[in-house]
Amino acid sequence: MSEAKVQTGPLVDPYGSTRDDCAVIALKQVTREYAGHGSVVRALGDATFSIVAGEWVAITGPSGSGKSTLVNLIGCLDRPTSGELKIDNVDVASMSATELDRFRADKIGFIFQQFHLIPYLSALENVMLAQYFHSMTDEAEARAALERVGLDKRVSHLPSELSGGEQQRVCIARALINNPPVLLADEPTGNLDAANQTIVAELLQDLHRNGHTIVMVTHDPEMAGLAQRRIALSHGKVFCHPVGGPMVTLRR
Amino acid sequence: MATLSLLGMLRRSLVHRRARSIAALVAMTVSAGVATALLTLYADLDAKLHKEFRSFGANVVITAPANTALQTDALVRVREAAGPDVLAAEFGYAVSTTDTGTPVVVAGTDFSAVRRLDSWWQVDHWPEDGATDAVLLGQRAAQFVGNERSVGLTYAGHAVTLRGVGRVKTGGEEDSRIYMPLAAFTAWTGVGPSVIELQIPGNSARIEATMARLRQDLPEAQVQAVRQLVEGESKIVDRTHALMFGAVLLIALTVAVSVLATLSASVLERRRDFALMKALGGSQTQLMGMFLLEALVLALAGVVAGFVVGSAAAWVISEGNFHTSTLPHLSVLPLVLLLNVAIAALAALFPVRVLRGLQPAALLKGE
Repeated sequence: MSEAKVQTGPLVDPYGSTRDDCAVIALKQVTREYAGHGSVVRALGDATFSIVAGEWVAITGPSGSGKSTLVNLIGCLDRPTSGELKIDNVDVASMSATELDRFRADKIGFIFQQFHLIPYLSALENVMLAQYFHSMTDEAEARAALERVGLDKRVSHLPSELSGGEQQRVCIARALINNPPVLLADEPTGNLDAANQTIVAELLQDLHRNGHTIVMVTHDPEMAGLAQRRIALSHGKVFCHPVGGPMVTLRR
Repeated sequence: MATLSLLGMLRRSLVHRRARSIAALVAMTVSAGVATALLTLYADLDAKLHKEFRSFGANVVITAPANTALQTDALVRVREAAGPDVLAAEFGYAVSTTDTGTPVVVAGTDFSAVRRLDSWWQVDHWPEDGATDAVLLGQRAAQFVGNERSVGLTYAGHAVTLRGVGRVKTGGEEDSRIYMPLAAFTAWTGVGPSVIELQIPGNSARIEATMARLRQDLPEAQVQAVRQLVEGESKIVDRTHALMFGAVLLIALTVAVSVLATLSASVLERRRDFALMKALGGSQTQLMGMFLLEALVLALAGVVAGFVVGSAAAWVISEGNFHTSTLPHLSVLPLVLLLNVAIAALAALFPVRVLRGLQPAALLKGE
């Protein structure tokens, strides 16, 4: 196994006085409850924190801790039961489903653990699909996005003709194509082998260096260590968010 | 140059899920095919059934008052009143005695007219046109003559010898009669035609209207419908219409269930694709639009294929049952289209509900 040192992006003081002003994601007393069989299940309770532009935050916690609920809320796939949730200074809690669809296309770039590429569309078309639902397709931009993730020679390949790492890079290119202020990565390396994990991690670091805000859910301590800050969840509660961001050594 | 259009995605999606697409297309084709076949037959049904009923013989009978004959121009007036497509034959009747001394009813008529009017009669050999001494012997009447080749008949003291050329068998009173040419009959008996049998084509309304005109133009005669035939025809036509409508609806419902199952499976299979599209910002309207467009394309393709298959089926059925071909009826196309689109819309209701309740977050997590 070889080792490579990767520099994380510029650190931002998460507790600085100007934090709320430049927050791209801000939660205040956010609670999400689901109706169960005769009872109410609180998946997330009174979550309050903010993430500033350009920050890379890792969300960690065991299964059932509320990670998915938090990601759904930040990803505008769900709305809080109570509290205030602002993305790019817009309160999404009161948005209608249609408004939320539009907002999601503008503000969030998703990177999924299982890639979720449309099997009958080429790599290029999968990237263009995000453009299609956002505004209009632009092949040159989509090609550039694939070139950025090192897939300029694989644009016309179907997902079934790509390796797992390549599929994840297509997924990243798709997440980037509309220049969203937030990249939301849910276990981005969870389905990859070690070599591809490193490639994807380096890609995320590169994006962070270029000023992208990344919110990443991960079980992998090594990946979590790449982030500047970690938000840990347990039983639906945010219980710590230590400042991170040391020099990280990635094991290949 | 790569482009990404809605129709392009739809085409790729349909090709990617070939088996499912073909199953849905077959279901829609069956629906359109059955509807086309039945509606095409339905469109021709009246004409075909009326034609069938025409072969059963007269449906209207005009009779002179008792012991009198019809006026000599009666047949001409009937043709004028009833129209050129009406089949008519005159009959004169007399009771004569055979050479064995048995009384028998002799009918004078125009054989060529009877042959067209009563095509259902079983005749082993019709008298040749123009022959004045040729007779047709009823199956029972033949037993009362001594020699079928030389039939001796006497009426009011006037004897004639006629040539039996064939037998007629109907199972009715015709079996007890001897038929001879009308001119020879009148010359021999001095009795003119007292009955005109008519086959009026068309539905019961036309028959009733024609009868009204005949009553007006021939006030001296009695104009009567052969009730069992006219009413039977009307009932059978109505019932066949109802049966065919019922069959179309039943088959449409059955196909709708099949299409529903196929479309539902199609949506359930692609829940993650739709969830992804939703996560990428696809609105509920866009996703439902994509799905409904797919159902619509399948319905339209089904109409095109079904119209061809259904028209061919109607032709085969028509040939087999009515011995006439039925050409494709473009007029049924809008109805078939409407039916298939309705089936697709009905079958898409459940899948659309699935789409509405889609939870991208859970699906994309693989839950």
